[in-house]
Amino acid sequence: MNINATLLGQTLAFVIFVAICWKYVWPPIIAIMEEREKRIADGLEAAKKADDSLEEAQLAFDQEMNKAKAEAAEILEKANSRASQIVNDATEKAEVEAEKILSSASKTIENDVNKAKEELRQKMSELIIDTSEKILGDEISPEKHQELLKKAAAEL
Amino acid sequence: MASASGEQTSAEYIQHHLTNLVCGKTPDGWTCDHNAVDQMGFWAFHVDSLGWSIFLGLVFVGLFRLGVPKLSTEAPSGIQNFVEMCIEFVNDNVQSIFTSAKNNLIGPMALTVLVWVFLMNLMDLVPVDYLPTLAGQVAEATGMVENSKDAYFKVVPTTDPNITLGMALAVFVLIIFYSIKIKGLKGFLAELTLHPFGKWMMPVNLVLEGVNLIAKPISLGLRLFGNLYAGEMIFILIALMLTFSSISIGLLGVGLHLIWALFHILILALQAFIFMVLTIVYLAMAHETEDH
Repeated sequence: MNINATLLGQTLAFVIFVAICWKYVWPPIIAIMEEREKRIADGLEAAKKADDSLEEAQLAFDQEMNKAKAEAAEILEKANSRASQIVNDATEKAEVEAEKILSSASKTIENDVNKAKEELRQKMSELIIDTSEKILGDEISPEKHQELLKKAAAEL
Repeated sequence: MASASGEQTSAEYIQHHLTNLVCGKTPDGWTCDHNAVDQMGFWAFHVDSLGWSIFLGLVFVGLFRLGVPKLSTEAPSGIQNFVEMCIEFVNDNVQSIFTSAKNNLIGPMALTVLVWVFLMNLMDLVPVDYLPTLAGQVAEATGMVENSKDAYFKVVPTTDPNITLGMALAVFVLIIFYSIKIKGLKGFLAELTLHPFGKWMMPVNLVLEGVNLIAKPISLGLRLFGNLYAGEMIFILIALMLTFSSISIGLLGVGLHLIWALFHILILALQAFIFMVLTIVYLAMAHETEDH
């Protein structure tokens, strides 16, 4: 073990290699690593932001959806009530109309019945008188005839 | 098995593996002749240690800089993945130790220490005879030495205390530099002289804190050296078993080598990690401004 100038040579070599590493080896690699680190951090940040905005959008979507649902329900309810109202109105109208028709019909029938009755009476009277004439063989005077007719009609 | 006949004794084998290829200044001028090593003073270089160290440093820089042809912020793949993993690991360690102070030199330095020291340690897993033998053959073929056995080539840089202490020295200089920069010269001197006994015991404090300060780089460098040297030594001893003519000892050696190599992977990584963490911790301490 003899110490000689090799020691100084190694010291010099050490200084030179450290200097090379310091100037040319270390900085570019560290810079690259830091840049990548930054990019990854940025990426994570962006992902987090996207996540947040997604959540926000989901929230807004849910709100809109609920609103729309409520609106739809309201509209449906309105439509339903409107429909039932229309139906009610129509029913009422129809009922009224039916009643009207019914009453007018019954009136007509009554009239017809009355008319028929009248006609029947007339015919009946004529028939009776005719028959009576035939039986009696005697001509009844037209005045008497008329009178008899009236009487019969009134009695029948 | 006399050395004169060209055969190596066990001691010579071990010695051969532990000897560096040295080039240095002798009174006659610069030479790489092994026989002149004794005449070299301080101005001598372990060419093998330094060469491997620089080569592996270049491997580190090349892998981390050129290995990633085009950096991408997309999901990384291949080498970029590995590189980013290393940097993230180092950065996490630095940030867990450097809680308050900020210093953008520490990260790159810790990364360099971790990967570079790990690569240097990793050379320990190359079977001990491969590269020295290859170097010997090359040296003989090119006529640098007459016999390949005269060529010395020590591969693992971190088994050379010059290498580990050299790095520790750089860390030590940085500790002092940042201590003075952050706390001021006065603050640094106060830290050295006024603790732990107050200003009336200044010399005692200085001795205690001085030892404390000096111990940091010494222990940092010697810890790595000691662990790797011991590991290398065991590899050499196991390899020595293969030089015996007995087949059973040779097979035992192969088995032991495998086991020790597997176990050593842990030590290699661990020692590189410890060197890095201690570097960070010492520099973090240099940045601490609060009073004790």
